Amino acid sequence: MIRVFNWFRRRSLERGLDRELQYHFDRRVADLTGAGIGEPEARRRVAAELGLVRVREEVRDVWLTRWFRDFLYDLRFSARSFLRSPGFTAVTLLSLALGIGATTAIFSMVDQVILHALPVREPERLVLVDWNGDDLITYVTGSINLMPYPICRGLQQQTRLFDGVLCRAEIQVNFTASGDPRPVAAEIVSGSYFPVLGVGPALGRVIEPADDAATGAGPVVVLSYDFWQAQFGGAADIVGSKVLIGNHPMTVVGVAAAGFRGVDVGAVPAFWMPTSMYADANLDTGDEDLLNGHTRWLQILARLRSDVTLAQARTGLQPWFKAWLEDSTLRPGFPRISADHRREYLATTLELTSAPQGHSVLRRNLAQPLWLLFAATGVLLGLACLNVAGLFLARGSARGREIGTRLALGASRGRIGRQLLADSLLLAVAGGVLGAAVAPMAVRGLIAFLPHELAATALRDTLSLRLLAFAFVASLAAGLLSGVAPALRAGGEGLVNSLRERGGTGFGGVRLRKAIVTLQVAFSLILVIGAALFLRTLTGLLAKGPGFETAGILSFAIAPTQNGYSDANASRLVRRLDEQVRALPEARSSSAARFAFLNGGAWSNQVTMQTDHRTVTDGIINFNAVSPGFFSTLGVRLLAGRDFEKSDTLPVGEIAPRCAIVNEAFVKRYLAGRDPLGVLIARGGSSDVKPNSRIVGVVADMSYRGVRDHSEQVFFPLFEHDDTGATFYIRVRGAAEQAIPAIRSLVRQDDPRLPILWFRTIDEQVNRSLSTERLLAALSGSFGALALTLSLIGLYGVMSFVVTRRTREIGIRLALGATRASAIRLVLRDAVVMIAAGIAIAIPCVGALGKLVQSQLFGVTATDPATIAAAALVLAAGTLTAAFIPAWRASNVSPTHALRLE
Amino acid sequence: MPSPRFPIPQGTLDMLILQILSLDSAHGYGIAQRLQQISRSVVQVNEGSLYPALHRLEQKGWLRGAWKQSETGREAKFYSLTPACRRQLAVEKESWARLSGAVDLIFEEGSR
Repeated sequence: MIRVFNWFRRRSLERGLDRELQYHFDRRVADLTGAGIGEPEARRRVAAELGLVRVREEVRDVWLTRWFRDFLYDLRFSARSFLRSPGFTAVTLLSLALGIGATTAIFSMVDQVILHALPVREPERLVLVDWNGDDLITYVTGSINLMPYPICRGLQQQTRLFDGVLCRAEIQVNFTASGDPRPVAAEIVSGSYFPVLGVGPALGRVIEPADDAATGAGPVVVLSYDFWQAQFGGAADIVGSKVLIGNHPMTVVGVAAAGFRGVDVGAVPAFWMPTSMYADANLDTGDEDLLNGHTRWLQILARLRSDVTLAQARTGLQPWFKAWLEDSTLRPGFPRISADHRREYLATTLELTSAPQGHSVLRRNLAQPLWLLFAATGVLLGLACLNVAGLFLARGSARGREIGTRLALGASRGRIGRQLLADSLLLAVAGGVLGAAVAPMAVRGLIAFLPHELAATALRDTLSLRLLAFAFVASLAAGLLSGVAPALRAGGEGLVNSLRERGGTGFGGVRLRKAIVTLQVAFSLILVIGAALFLRTLTGLLAKGPGFETAGILSFAIAPTQNGYSDANASRLVRRLDEQVRALPEARSSSAARFAFLNGGAWSNQVTMQTDHRTVTDGIINFNAVSPGFFSTLGVRLLAGRDFEKSDTLPVGEIAPRCAIVNEAFVKRYLAGRDPLGVLIARGGSSDVKPNSRIVGVVADMSYRGVRDHSEQVFFPLFEHDDTGATFYIRVRGAAEQAIPAIRSLVRQDDPRLPILWFRTIDEQVNRSLSTERLLAALSGSFGALALTLSLIGLYGVMSFVVTRRTREIGIRLALGATRASAIRLVLRDAVVMIAAGIAIAIPCVGALGKLVQSQLFGVTATDPATIAAAALVLAAGTLTAAFIPAWRASNVSPTHALRLE
Repeated sequence: MPSPRFPIPQGTLDMLILQILSLDSAHGYGIAQRLQQISRSVVQVNEGSLYPALHRLEQKGWLRGAWKQSETGREAKFYSLTPACRRQLAVEKESWARLSGAVDLIFEEGSR
């Protein structure tokens, strides 16, 4: 490969060879003349002996292989011809750079979120263990592959199948090193976590099985490398220092290896602590030992033995798991269930799924949108290639005479084809370099669409080697794709024809170019329809809104139990703060809710109702607990009955019958045709639940998990015995931000060590919860616009070409008395056929692709006729305009001028 | 009747060049002349094929070329062996000896 350098020093090599041969020549001539031969004769003989031309060629072949040398000459020739037509070059480069840049940027996200395997030892052997059986008895759904701890311990005994089993849970705790406590995300992990993953320390040690041997055994934390760098500046003396988790002292024993960020893409832990210390992470529920009980709170990952397949492990586990299930029905507190139900429960199995990328909620939420966008950029890149191919064909027919001349001089068709391919490859690689250069910027733009704290920690905008490789492959593919058609055509045309033609009137590939434009129209219609669907989804959701007033409302959240508060003390604190915030001069009104709205999560269960008979809801109902004035603060209409009053609130620690407020959707579905007020209800669906909360009011529907959400809801008064935290909603006088300092000092006065988790306006919150929709709408919108532009350019190009070709014909028609309108019709007919064919191709494709996007849509189906019609209309109008310009020019042809072209 | 001068067998030109250069460094014309002398004009070397061979050997790193003053006072490109090449030459000579020895043996066997 060193020989490549010879290309760059070929001039000095040539000079050297010349001198060398000249020396030989002169010496030989001198020898011959010395032997009595006349000089002219001597020169002639030596020249014949040496064969200078052939020697030079052969030596050049030694310097650089022939085909490679030719290829480099081709590239040089291409580069020069591109520089001669800068307009053409700029347009093609730009369309390729856009296509490649967009594809690379989206691929970067796909790679980081979906494809990237964990940076651990042999990630391909990791499996996620899941079980959905106890949904059958508890009816609690929505858990994210959560499992009870004893199953993890049981699986660790299955050494025939697994090389190791770990469990982990994501936790939110307050971390204090020095100064104020900070709320951070962390992982609580089994002692097997680091050994099974094969991740070592960067400093000190990692968590070991001994730390996790018994409850309370290991009051230690291991910091993540990123957190150590950001928070402690990478201080080497961190090992051995004391920190507070909540208000529990722990020792930092080490820092995990750089680059390791836990097993969940999108949740970067600040530190790891052993499961034995769950009480210190405030996971203690008070009534169950989490290490031995059946509470589901962890995800389990196992490492398959190298000689065991996934299917073998699945079947191998069943006997053990069946025994475990049997055993679990005997434990105290197992719900009373019917025999059928019991049989169903015992028939459940453990599910194993390959998990080289770990476990990620972010991936679950973003995978589909990202694949959709990736597919869209693929189409866009295809469009760009078609455009470049079209431009090449146009240029190729302009170069028809040049190529014809070269063929006549003896160039082989293969050689000419190679030249044209070199053109497109050079262009594509240049486009790829440009694309890769803009990709990081595009990735930053993409990340900006996602909720901030997630994007800031989990996703990176740097170009990895993988990404560059991807961009390179994409460029090569683009180059081949856009170059193949013109290259093949160069070989196909008759030599005599091309020489006989007049400059600029080449007949080259009109049919091929029309086919390309038809495909472009089809591709861009697909993208435009996609853009229209996602735009309608976003505007639909924004117009619908969350069902309550969003302007002028500020929310903030606290989690006192994370700071070591007991449940009762936390309840008292929330009540105290609720009173004080209401009294602030900045607050028009204020209220507290146990769970935040529009945050993705919810508190939910079945509901048992007592009317004239006892019924259990067939679906899951969402709950929240709120303080008086909640509905009026958010502007949710009270439809019947009354709001909660201060007297509905029980003293902290007291448990007694309460009242409840249900929403309209709940009444419609479960209490249709009867007066909901006075009906007794209770949370839970099992037979021992006693409905004892009286419905005192009905409110209009509002969103809970997200803006799309339209669920049945039941509200209870706040301040039960187990309020662990609260989100406060304040209708602010004036700008929302002005109330923040007052609230901050209020909380600080009560407890200077209690952090406020966030301040957000509801508008912000709505925007956050619509981030995916916004991402899809913005990107598909810009892709659609780009696609439309590309196909307009393509159509305009082809129509101009056709018109130039037919100028003479049109001139004759006009001379014979045709009207200008008929000339326009003549040209437009061609365009209409192409556009109609493109639309006819696109619509069945949209029908087929519709199923893939349906779940991302809201208030519109993927095959919504109005949307498709509107998109097709926009496309048809745009493309017809593009076609009309050349048509109009054609109609202005003066017959004499056209005929003189001959 | 065979021609008194026959074309050099494929692949042996490189070895002959290396052998000549193992005695002393030389320029292209010098090598050509010595080839003629040594082989007593039995072997015909096409002078045109000498230069591609020299450049190929230089490319391989077996020869090193340097411009020096020649016996006529003019600058010429002198080729000399690199150390790596000296080792290689020993190996080649050895295998050539074995091959030609074997061929001789076969001929003798046939003529007995």
